[in-house]
Amino acid sequence: MTQPSHKPFLGFGLGLRAEHYQDILERRPKNIDWFEVLSENYMIEGGKPLYFLDAIRQDYPMVMHGVSMSLGTTDDLDFDYLKQLKALIERIEPLWFSDHLCWTGVDHKNMHDLLPLPYTEEAINHVAERISRVQDFLGQQMLIENLSSYITYCEDVMPEWEFLAAIASKADCYLLLDVNNIYVSSYNHHYDPVEYLAGVPVDRVWQHHLAGHTNDGNLIIDTHDQDIIDPVWALYEETAKRFGPVSTMIERDGNIPELDKVLVELDHARRIAEPYYQA
Amino acid sequence: MSHLRDLQLRFQEYLIDGSEDIEQDIISTEHAIAEHRLGTYYNAYRIRLIDCLAVDYSALEKYIGREAFENMALDYLQHFPSTHPSVRWFGENLPTYLRDIYSGKEAEFLEELARYEWAQTLVFDAADSAQLLQLEDMAAVPADAWPGLTLNFKPALTWLDLFWNVPLIEDALDSGTEVPQKQRDDFPRRWMLWRHDMKIQWRSLEVHEAWAIEQAAGGANFAAICEGLLEWIDEQQVALVAAGFLKQWVGDQLVLNLDND
Repeated sequence: MTQPSHKPFLGFGLGLRAEHYQDILERRPKNIDWFEVLSENYMIEGGKPLYFLDAIRQDYPMVMHGVSMSLGTTDDLDFDYLKQLKALIERIEPLWFSDHLCWTGVDHKNMHDLLPLPYTEEAINHVAERISRVQDFLGQQMLIENLSSYITYCEDVMPEWEFLAAIASKADCYLLLDVNNIYVSSYNHHYDPVEYLAGVPVDRVWQHHLAGHTNDGNLIIDTHDQDIIDPVWALYEETAKRFGPVSTMIERDGNIPELDKVLVELDHARRIAEPYYQA
Repeated sequence: MSHLRDLQLRFQEYLIDGSEDIEQDIISTEHAIAEHRLGTYYNAYRIRLIDCLAVDYSALEKYIGREAFENMALDYLQHFPSTHPSVRWFGENLPTYLRDIYSGKEAEFLEELARYEWAQTLVFDAADSAQLLQLEDMAAVPADAWPGLTLNFKPALTWLDLFWNVPLIEDALDSGTEVPQKQRDDFPRRWMLWRHDMKIQWRSLEVHEAWAIEQAAGGANFAAICEGLLEWIDEQQVALVAAGFLKQWVGDQLVLNLDND
């Protein structure tokens, strides 16, 4: 494995979105420390997305974040996908890459959604073994991200945080802890999000996501198209207290505002977390 | 079959056709019963893929209207569920679907419009070409080398043969200008698309240029192209016309380099 055992801290970053390409290149804002890029958007031969990716990479550290590895599916691992991922890793040399603790389809179909797994020993063994094979193939450790979920299964035998921690330990991978997702799932499934944080091993957490969501009254949906709400900021403060300096970024995928508006949120994250980093 | 696989197949069956067997596996709470919770995924699956199709086929959506487009997209989703890790490929079969499902002249028009829009997406992210042939490079070719010249074109170039004037209609729908009347020729016309400076360029080709570029892309040399062009051009003019095409293609930034067979 090629990564250091200590936890790298990149500071405060953003998800790179096409709407901001030009603005970033023209202004090269100093208050964005790094970018997270969606791997599948750049698994193409050429053209505009790769042009901007390469140009922005010259000035900013990057990490890669995927949505299609389908670590939890019971289909075979898709090595064509992994080869493309490897080529992109070699192209932009990210600090790390991540994907979700989920499955996206089965029987060679893809639902293009992040579908939850049952929290069972069978699923732990299945996913951990696949993560190990991915890490062996790509020659480095990866990060896995907790989901926002709207269902839980009757067969669950443990809470989500135990499931997440068990897989990270068994596969020897790191965690991308999405603070908004913890909030969303805790609302949808009626548990205490701070209890979730307490169940996650500190040393495994290398990255945080922050995002907005939509509340339909009964369920919260992880839409990434709204500003981050105060309870999520409060949970982020709890996260900073427990985990210390962890590279943090904001995801915005719909209703995307101008870059400066997202930067206001990023500065807010900084103001919340940094006092705990200096303690 | 493992228990996990069985669960995943039941869940996916629900997403695809609403089969309710999965409900027994899902916890209901007083805030949200299993049916409502599952419905979030059922609806998101459809919305996500309809929206993806609407991005790739924005002119088609504008042409037939949102409601008709959504109905068509839902039916397409049933016939062609996504099998690729990247959602970018989900719409690949839409032209085929339109041709097979619909009939008559309107189906032919819709299929051509879809095929044209899909060709645009392919050209948009086709491989880059670091260096292209320039007009001054052609001047350096010695006269006796011309008959054996062959051309290598860049990857971000394609063409398609269309009965209808769909490029003009697509361009108007895309730019919000007045949409021209639909017109159908008796014979298909070849339209060429390519990417230059990250923008899609397009133009129609006369029948002899259409023939010539297809031959050139297939490896025919300059002499063979001249010979074939005699079908349309006088012998005295043919070399000049063929050289004019070559100059045009180089000027359009389509040619990577020259070879000599």
